[in-house]
Order: sequence, then structure tokens, then C-alpha cells
Amino acid sequence: MQFEILDSPDFALLQLRMDTGDEVVAESGAMVAQDGQISVKTNVRGGLMGAAKRKLLGGESLFQNTFVAQADGQRLYLAAPSEGDMQSRDLGPGEEFFLTSGAYVAHIGKELQIDTKFGGVKGFFSGVGLFMLRIVGPGRVFYGSYGALHSVEIGAEGYVVDTGHIVGFTPGLSYKVRPFNGFKGLFFSGEGLVAEFQGEGTVFAQTRDAASLASFLHPFRPVQRGE
Amino acid sequence: MHFEVQYNPAHSLATAHLSPGESVRAEASAMVSMSPSLTVETNTGPQGRGGFFTKAKRGLLGGESFFQNVFRASGKAGHVCLAPRLCGSMVVHELSGQRDLLIQGSSYVAAPDSVDINTQFQGFKGFFSGESLFFLKASGTGPVLMNAFGAIEEMELNGEMVVDTGHLVAFESGINYEVTKAAAGWISSFLSGEGLVLRMSGRGKVFIQSRNPSEFGRTVGSLLPARRG
Repeated sequence: MQFEILDSPDFALLQLRMDTGDEVVAESGAMVAQDGQISVKTNVRGGLMGAAKRKLLGGESLFQNTFVAQADGQRLYLAAPSEGDMQSRDLGPGEEFFLTSGAYVAHIGKELQIDTKFGGVKGFFSGVGLFMLRIVGPGRVFYGSYGALHSVEIGAEGYVVDTGHIVGFTPGLSYKVRPFNGFKGLFFSGEGLVAEFQGEGTVFAQTRDAASLASFLHPFRPVQRGE
Repeated sequence: MHFEVQYNPAHSLATAHLSPGESVRAEASAMVSMSPSLTVETNTGPQGRGGFFTKAKRGLLGGESFFQNVFRASGKAGHVCLAPRLCGSMVVHELSGQRDLLIQGSSYVAAPDSVDINTQFQGFKGFFSGESLFFLKASGTGPVLMNAFGAIEEMELNGEMVVDTGHLVAFESGINYEVTKAAAGWISSFLSGEGLVLRMSGRGKVFIQSRNPSEFGRTVGSLLPARRG
């Protein structure tokens, strides 16, 4: 199977070329277009309970679609919901990668695991937007951002990232969530919290966040008068 | 202190690099990430200029947050990454101490202490169009970081020009300006959808943005469920 990320960085579109038997799993809603000889199975990954937990804790959708090519040279196009960039990461057996639940787009590799328990409880008390998925290889995972993907190498000093701007991070890092000590506006939950990273690794940040757009649009909503 | 702007035109990110002892003031919601060694204070401008009411006015009229955060590198160098709420570009204008810059309230992002951001300057008020016409006056020396909704165009004015107020980002002092209606009469001006325009003349720099935030807000906002008054 070959893949190419088109239209990066502002409107990334993932193009996959699949041969007979090739399989891609994607977040429901990610499919843009596909050739005719690709079958689609909607499945509840990790069993119903696992999926329900993921829905409740991870915020991502209950169902995922599995695309299987029935002929050679079939094209599949996938996209993330918001405008922005997409990247992929190839994970070796047992290798870990961490993504916020909304950043996951798709993966290749039948043995790749997506663990939603990680950070679930911690995330639950730290406000919206920091439900991390623990991805374990082997396989390749595709993830999208709202805006550009900005990577930062973290050294001994650590690093602070607004929770709404976190896309993912590499193993070797730990974080704790705390309120930002400056003023950031607390209009929508999740704003005003930062993650303090320690350890060595790379953090991927997105240059826009959905809560900020929502807070811009809020005053433009029609006003409900009376009952 | 210097600003580095990446990912223009659509999803810009600005990094303010601070040497030990330096600081930068940034619009409150702009912080994306930062070095943990920086200290953060919530402030209302250098030397706490202006009372709370002025800040409240700035927030309400300028479409800007009430507060600015001050990021200070005390012991060691550090950086803070900043981004606006909407998609678009960011640009840095260097003040040389000669001419001030008049910045539309919601276009201002950040500046170091060597730049004075005057919020007492009220700009234009009392218009019925609903467009917030509030300007900050940046003076002193050093860089000023601004954001645009959409792309940003830097123009050299030499003569006369008319700019829609919703598309205006900033212009240099010394340019003569008056706020007028777009069409001949108030009613046709209102119906034309252009609202208010700034009629400018003289010489100097003018920055405009290729999209109008209020137009976008109205387009999307009207499709959203009603909020409680």
C-alpha cells in the first residue's frame, strides 16, 4: 500500500493506493472519496464496552470504518474534520505514541492497538480536550491538526502547552495539567488549562484550537428573547 | 526580544524569543505554548497605565480581551508561542520612534515593553452600524505583532484610498483619515452592506486583511442555535 498526504499544510488530504486485501481503519466521517472496489465494514473496535468507554472518555466516535480493497490500485481519500495539516508516524512493535482523541484520523496495521484507558481519568478531571489515546505499534497512524503542526523538542527544562493546542507527543514524556497562571478567558471549558511536560521527547502542537473559534463565534449567535 | 512568524498565510504562529531580563505583553487568549522558566503576570499594560474602566472599555469596544499577559524571562532565555483565534496571517511592524501605528483593536497581538500601547485613544465611536471601530495607538521603538483574518496586505499609501473598516488592520500616524459611510446616504450605505469606510489621504503604510471578521461572524453565527440574552 502506498500513501501520500496531498494539499498540506492547510487542507491536508490523505491519498492511499490499495491493492487486493489491503486494509485501512479510519475514524468514522473521515472518508472523502474511494474507488468502487473497496468494501467498507463499520465495526465497534474493542467490543461494545470498550467502544462505549472510548466514546465517553475519549470523545471520539463509537464506530470506526475498515476499508478493504477488493482489487488492485484502488484509491481511498481521507481527511480530518478541521482545516489544517496531517502527518503520519510509523511505529515499530511495542512502540508507543500518544494522540489527543480528536487528532486521530486513520491507521494501517492489523496489530496496531488504540488504548483509551491511558490518561482517561486524569483527563476527566482536567477539563475537555485532554483525552489521550495511547497508540501501540506495529503500524502507521495518521493524525490531523487544526492549523499547522508545530513540533517542539523537549529537553531537561520541560515545556508548557495550552491543552487546546496539544495534538500528541512521543513516549518519554509525562505531563500534568494545571490552570494557566495568566489570564486566558474561561468562556468555554478547557480554555485556561495548560499541560506541563517533563522528560525528553517531542510534542506536536496545533496552531489553532476549536474552543477559540467557538468563543469568537458565540457573540454572533442569535439571542433568545423571553420564553 | 524578537518575533519569528511561521506558517503564514493561513495558520500563522508567532514565537517571541526572550533573552534574560526581557519581556513581552500579549493579548490574553493568544498563548499556545511557552518555556516553563518564563514568569506570567496578568497586566493591563506597561506601568499599569489606565484604570480598570479603560480596560473594560478596551475589551468591549476593541473586541479584544480585557487583559494582557506579560511573559518575562528572568533568569534564562525562553520563548512563548502566540496565535490568534481565527485563521490568517501575522505580521511584524517595526516602530522606529518616528511614526506611531494605529491598530484596529482585534488585530493587535503582542509587543515588548519598549512599545507603549495607548488604550486611551478611543478612535471612533457612536456609529450605529455595529462595527467595532476601536483603535490602539502603538508608539515608541520596537516590533509590534499583529494578526489578520485571512491574508495581510501591506500597502504604501501615496494619495487617497478608501478602506472598509472591517478590513483595516493598521495604518501609520500622519495619514489623514475620516470615517464615513460607504454610499451617499445613510440608508443606501446601510443597504450596500459596506457599512463604514475609512477615507485616508497622505503618505504612509496601511495594512489590510483580506477577510472581514464581523462578516464571517454574522454568516456563521446566524446558523447557530440562539443563546440566552
